[in-house]
Amino acid sequence: MKTSKVVVITARNVFSGQGLPDPRVVLKMFRKGLELLTGASKAEEALAIWFKPEDRVGIKINTIGRRLLSTLPETSITLGLWLGQTICREDNIIIWDRSNEELKDTGYKLSNTPGSLKIFGTDTRGAGYTEEPIVNRNIGSLFSRIQAELIDASISLAILKDHGLAGVTAGLKNYFGAIHNPNKYHDSHCNPYIAELFETDLIRRKHRLTILDALKVQYHRGPSYHPQWAENCKKLIFSTDPVAADAVGWKLIDELRARKGLPSLKEENREPVYLFTAEKLGLGQARLENIEIVEEEV
Amino acid sequence: MDRRDFLKCSLAGCSLFLVGKGLSTPLSSSALAAPPSQLSRVEARYYQKLPDREIKCELCPRFCQLGDKERGFCGVRENQDGKYYTLVYGKVASLNVDPIEKKPFFHFLPGSEAFSLATAGCNLSCKFCQNWEISQMRPEQVRNIHLPPEAVVETAEKYNCPVIAYTYSEPVIFYEFMYDTCLLARRRGIKNVVVSAGYINPEPLADLMKVVEAIKIDLKAFTQDFYTNYVRGELQPVLKTIKQIAKSKTWLEIVYLVIPTLNDNPEDIRKMSRWLKAEIGPDYPIHFSRFHPMYLIKNLPPTPVSTLEKLREIALEEGLHYVYVGNVPGHPGEHTYCPNCGKVIIERYGYTIKKKELSGNKCRYCGQVIPGVWS
Ligand code: SF4
Repeated sequence: MKTSKVVVITARNVFSGQGLPDPRVVLKMFRKGLELLTGASKAEEALAIWFKPEDRVGIKINTIGRRLLSTLPETSITLGLWLGQTICREDNIIIWDRSNEELKDTGYKLSNTPGSLKIFGTDTRGAGYTEEPIVNRNIGSLFSRIQAELIDASISLAILKDHGLAGVTAGLKNYFGAIHNPNKYHDSHCNPYIAELFETDLIRRKHRLTILDALKVQYHRGPSYHPQWAENCKKLIFSTDPVAADAVGWKLIDELRARKGLPSLKEENREPVYLFTAEKLGLGQARLENIEIVEEEV
Repeated sequence: MDRRDFLKCSLAGCSLFLVGKGLSTPLSSSALAAPPSQLSRVEARYYQKLPDREIKCELCPRFCQLGDKERGFCGVRENQDGKYYTLVYGKVASLNVDPIEKKPFFHFLPGSEAFSLATAGCNLSCKFCQNWEISQMRPEQVRNIHLPPEAVVETAEKYNCPVIAYTYSEPVIFYEFMYDTCLLARRRGIKNVVVSAGYINPEPLADLMKVVEAIKIDLKAFTQDFYTNYVRGELQPVLKTIKQIAKSKTWLEIVYLVIPTLNDNPEDIRKMSRWLKAEIGPDYPIHFSRFHPMYLIKNLPPTPVSTLEKLREIALEEGLHYVYVGNVPGHPGEHTYCPNCGKVIIERYGYTIKKKELSGNKCRYCGQVIPGVWS
């Protein structure tokens, strides 16, 4: 029985003349994605399922690839403003990642002013990491205080990429940016670390929604940017099941690889095994046969 | 105000953070201490460039293979556009003047003061790390001062330290900074000692031994299981390191931190003692140190002194000559006994030398040569 739903929205006109996502089109994609995910007639009703008006919401993005391969402001700010102007208070929304430098290099203007959307990194004065490590199975890490203390609910708005070690980096692995020592969790294909990190109370309890940014996808030699293996897929992928969302991301990467004559991740012996660990931990569905995939174009 | 206090104050004055009892406190609860752009950008040694701007680090047995903008397991080396850089060259995160006994070195210039320093980072991930607040952090997550090799040597000279110790975190991961400092220190007549877990490849180790006088190896256990579950590393490379040092002219001491129920099996200690005797001989000191609950292992008690005594007994039974009990001030296992006449030739209380009955490198009572670096 298919127990999880993943929605894939494509917009052929999502990139503007400068090659950047067009916020108006991106907003349409968000709306349609959430409507299809929940069956709500209006996307705002869908948002209201997951977020309460008083919630402080973190939108965790991934800016390690800087301007060339990151969740861009055109996408994340569109989501933040929409959420902040419909369900929550705008200044209760934090778009965040590890460092202010990476955010700035990606084109974000840092903001921490009352009344408006917040954008800053864990290294912002007043944020930082928890004093003591939080332990879960093989994980022992300090957590960003943004994730630990400054938000009640979280969206993983992650860039979808091939990853030399993990196989795929997407919504689950995005939370590596919420801890102080992700470098310690890249051996054995990042398994079981990615799954066990998500399982920690601070992430699992707060996570509401995964949105994979597959507008431009690095399908080979990731996570670094290599233009010859990056494709404008013009897709956003939505799910409340964080494992299923990533499994569909993996499918997309393998489809791109097949189309370009590259071996599959499994053939390269680097399929994202952490997804199956995540499934075993009860975090979601890793097998496509258990996932209902709904695709639509806007 | 003694020299140690003075050093604390003067460094605090130049905005270095706390230099307490040998350990620094990273700024973990608020902002990151230094933006990544303020880290060093000195090309790393021992790495290979690969196609598509990838690199393979060959400094330690992890052999991290990384794409652009990625860091290795140690968190202090970064691929930037196909070139590998150390981010911690001259970026000192902890600084102190310690008695050499604190490292511990018991057969190396007893009673001398070691100008001791570390950067952030480590290539292992011990769940019981006693210095995790720097070793398990990235350099931008602790406060650093910029202290390039010349400044390190000058400061050590200023405080009349005959030794510089690369210690606290894991010196292997700040290899380039350590090596250049060693070279400079040696030219000025200062000796270099390294306190390491020994997780390093043979070639960089061989080069390092050309510029250091002594290395202390933390042997974490004598089973791969322990290395897998509590250290996240391999045992064999460490044993290889121990053998390589013992074959060289560099002085070696070994520390074994005894953690109740995890690595205190007497049979393993017996096997280890036999291995040490067979592979490197009976004359290199081994210290069985007391564990205190720390970092991710807080549910175990400090090591009972009786356990340390039992393990010391086993090592002595197996024929090792210099077996010490560590972190138990006032314990008779802190003293050095002549393996020939059995008399106490160096009496210690904690890090203090109470009595030294050596004549040159010989026992004053019976003339037995005591291995070590004594002057
Ligand atoms: S020194 Fe660091 S980067 Fe190099 S192989 Fe070891 S852990 Fe990896």
